[in-house]
Amino acid sequence: MDHVQKEHERLFKKVKSAQSIKNVQATIDMLQSARDAIAADPSQESITLAKLQNNVQSSFDTINDNLKDTHSSLNKYSKALDKFFKDRPLPSTEHDAVSSQEQLINRAIAMHLLREGQFSVAATFHHEMAEKKGMDTDMDEVPSDEVQSQFATMYHILRELKEKNNLLPAIQWSRDHKEELEARGSNLEFELCRLQFVWLFYGEQHQRGSTPTGRQAALQYARREFQAFLPRYLREVQQLMGAMAFCPNLQDSPYRAIFNNASAWEDVAHSFTREFCSLLGLSADSPLYIAATAGAIALPTLLKLQTIMKAKRTEWTSENELPVEIPLPPEYLFHSIFVCPVSKEQTTDQNPPMMMPCGHVIAEESLKRLCKGSRFKCPYCPSESHPREARKVFL
Amino acid sequence: MAAELTSTKLNAENHLLLDQPLLRLPHELARRNFKSIQRFLEREREYILPALKETTEASLSSNQTTDQTLSALDTMISRMQGLKRKMESLHQEEKKIHAQSKKRIQHLDNLHQIPSLTDVKYDQWSRIRLDRLVVDHMLRSGYTESARQLAQARGIEDLVDLSVFVQCQRIAGSLRQGEAKEALQWCNENKAALKKSRYNLEFELRLQQYIELVRTGDKHKFVEAMAHAKRFLIPYFESHSAEIHRAAGLLAFSSDTKAEPYKSMYSPDRWSYLSDLFVRTHHELLSLPSRPLLHIALSAGLSALKTPSCHSAYTSSSSNSLSTATSVCPICSTELHELARNMPYAHHTKSYVESDPIVLPNGRIYGQQRLLKMGKKAGCVGTGKIKDPTTGELFEEGEMKKVYIM
Repeated sequence: MDHVQKEHERLFKKVKSAQSIKNVQATIDMLQSARDAIAADPSQESITLAKLQNNVQSSFDTINDNLKDTHSSLNKYSKALDKFFKDRPLPSTEHDAVSSQEQLINRAIAMHLLREGQFSVAATFHHEMAEKKGMDTDMDEVPSDEVQSQFATMYHILRELKEKNNLLPAIQWSRDHKEELEARGSNLEFELCRLQFVWLFYGEQHQRGSTPTGRQAALQYARREFQAFLPRYLREVQQLMGAMAFCPNLQDSPYRAIFNNASAWEDVAHSFTREFCSLLGLSADSPLYIAATAGAIALPTLLKLQTIMKAKRTEWTSENELPVEIPLPPEYLFHSIFVCPVSKEQTTDQNPPMMMPCGHVIAEESLKRLCKGSRFKCPYCPSESHPREARKVFL
Repeated sequence: MAAELTSTKLNAENHLLLDQPLLRLPHELARRNFKSIQRFLEREREYILPALKETTEASLSSNQTTDQTLSALDTMISRMQGLKRKMESLHQEEKKIHAQSKKRIQHLDNLHQIPSLTDVKYDQWSRIRLDRLVVDHMLRSGYTESARQLAQARGIEDLVDLSVFVQCQRIAGSLRQGEAKEALQWCNENKAALKKSRYNLEFELRLQQYIELVRTGDKHKFVEAMAHAKRFLIPYFESHSAEIHRAAGLLAFSSDTKAEPYKSMYSPDRWSYLSDLFVRTHHELLSLPSRPLLHIALSAGLSALKTPSCHSAYTSSSSNSLSTATSVCPICSTELHELARNMPYAHHTKSYVESDPIVLPNGRIYGQQRLLKMGKKAGCVGTGKIKDPTTGELFEEGEMKKVYIM
C-alpha cells in the first residue's frame, strides 16, 4: 500500500505542475514574438523564421519529454497497482446463487435503507424500481408501507430520545407493547422509567418547559409510576429510593453507578432499537451490513480454496455446505452449532442431534450406525442404553 | 487440523479483495485522459512543424510576401491556442481524477491502521464499504438517482463513480431504444482500447445498422446498405466472414421471414443483446468486474453466516426473536432469509455452545446461567421455576438436566 501511495503522490505532483501546458504557452509566446518581429522588420523575415523553426522544434521536443515523464510516472503507478493487486484477483463468478435473485437483493437494500433511517433515499429507490418495472409492479418484494412507517416511528422515538432527552415517546411505545416485551423477558420499560427518574432528579441542571423537575418531581414520578414495577423490580426500586437518602452527596454513595452513568442514554437507545427490531422479527444490526462484512472477511479464504481446487483439479462435493471453515469474529456467531463428535458432521433437520440418557449428544445417523437396533454403549462413557431412550434435542 | 472457529485478526492486505476497482477505474480514466492529451499534441506537432518549415523555405526562396508569412504564423498561433485550451480542460479533468484517487488510496490506507475486526474503526470502515457496494449495485442496475442521493447522504461521492456509470447507462439505454449513434461515438473515442477487447462491439453495431437499412425493404436503401457493408463490415472480413456472408444473404429475405438465422437477425431482441454487449465491453475496458461487487460479498457472506438452523423447521434455541437474551441472526431476519435459502451453509468442525448447557424436559438446550438470569429478569416466574424462553413453558428448576456436548 505504501508503494502505491508513494507512486501516486509522485504522479499527482507531476500532473499538478502542468509543465506541458506551460511549455505550450512558451511556444505560443515564441510564435507571437517572431510574428511581431517580422511585422516590425520584414527584412529579418528569413532569419527570424529559421531561428523560430529551431526553437519551436526543440520546444515540441520538450513538451514531448514532459509527457513522457508523466507517462513513465503513470506506468510506475500502474505497476505499483498491479503488484499490489497481483495476488488478489477479483473472485471468480462461478458459484453465483445471488445474482439471479436481483429482486430479493433490492428488497434487502430497500429495508437496509429504511433501517438506517435513509427514508428519502429509500423512497427514491422504491420509485425508481417501480418505474423500471412498469405498470405491473408486484409490490410484494419491496418492503410494505407498514415496515416503512414502523421504522419512521422508530427513528422518531430515537431522535426524541437522543437529541431532546425526551423519553416519553419511548415509554409510551414500551407500554403499548407491554405484553410482547414481557414475554421476551425485556426490561425495557423499567429501564426507560428509571432513566426518566434519574433525569428528573437532575432536573435543575436542564430546566425544561413547565414540567416540574428536581428531586421533588422525581419522587412524584416514582410514586405515580413505580407502583406497577414493584412485583418485578422491587430491589431496583428500593435502590432508587434508598439513594434519595444520600441525596446531597450521591457521588460518594454506593448508588453513584445508577445516577452517574455516562453511557446510560446510549445503552437505553441501543436496547430500545434491539427490542423494536426484534418485535418486527428483525435483527438489531442491519443484516445486509453483517452479511457484506462477513463476506469480505470470508473472501480471502474462499479465494485460496478456489486456487487450491483449481491446482488439484478437485471439485467441491458437499453442495450445501462450504468446504472450508471460515473464522469470523465471535459476534458473528448467532446460533449454537452442533457438530456430531462421531461423524464430524453438522446436524440438520434430517439428521438431528439426539441425547442419550447419559447426557451425551450425537447425531441421529451416528446413533443408528452405532446401535444397529439394539442396546449399545455410549461412545463417550461406560453407560449403556437403548436407542429408543435417546431424545431429540434442540440447540 | 481444524481451523480456528473464530478470529478477530484483520489482515488489511488480504482484506482488500473487493476494492480493486476502486483504484483501477480512476487509473483507467487517467490513462485515457493522458492518451487524449498525447493525441492532441501529436496532431498539432504534425501540422505546425512542417508548416513552419514550408514557410521558412518559401521565405528563403522569397516566393511569398510578408503578409503571407504573417498569416501563416497567425494560423499556427491560433492552432496552438486551441491546443492549449484543450490541454487545459483535459488537465482539469486529470487533476480531478488524481485528487479522487488520492482520497481513495487514503481510504484504503485507513484500513491498515485498524488493528482488529472488533475495533470500532473497522465497523465504521466497513459501513463505508457497504455504502460503496450498495451505490455500485444501484448504479449498475440503473437506479441512478437513488445512488446519487445515497452517495450524497453518506458523503462518499469521491469513492463512487457516478458519472462513469451514468454515461454507461445512458448509452445502454439508447441502444435498447434502437439507437446506435451514441454507442458508435463511444467506440470511436475508445478505438485504441477496443482493439484489445474480447468482444466485437463495433462490428455488431455496424451490422445492426446494416440490418436496419435492409429491414425497410426499400430498394434505394438496399444500395445504401451495400455501401455501408463495404465501408464498415468488409474490414472485419478476416475475423467475421460467416457473419458477413449471412448479412449478404439477408438481402434476399424480407423482415417477416420465418427462416433462421435471418429471423433472429431481424429480431428486435438484438438491440437488448447489443445493449448488454456494450455494458460488458464498457466494464471490461475500465477493468470493472462483470457482476456487482455487492453480489460477490453477499454470496460469500451469506454462506459464511448460514447454519443449518437458519432454515430449519424448528425454532432455534440459541438465536430467535422470542427472547431478549438472544439476538436475531441476520440470516433469519426477514431481509436475507429468502435470499440465503439456496446458499450452502458454513462448514464447522467443532461444536459451539454455551459452556454450561442444560436440557429442559421438552428437549431444548440452553446455557444454565443465561436461563436462570433470564428467569430472574422476566420476574413473573415463581421461585424454583424456570421458563423456556422459546416456547414459554414453565418447568421446575430440578427438571434441568446437564447435557454433554463434545
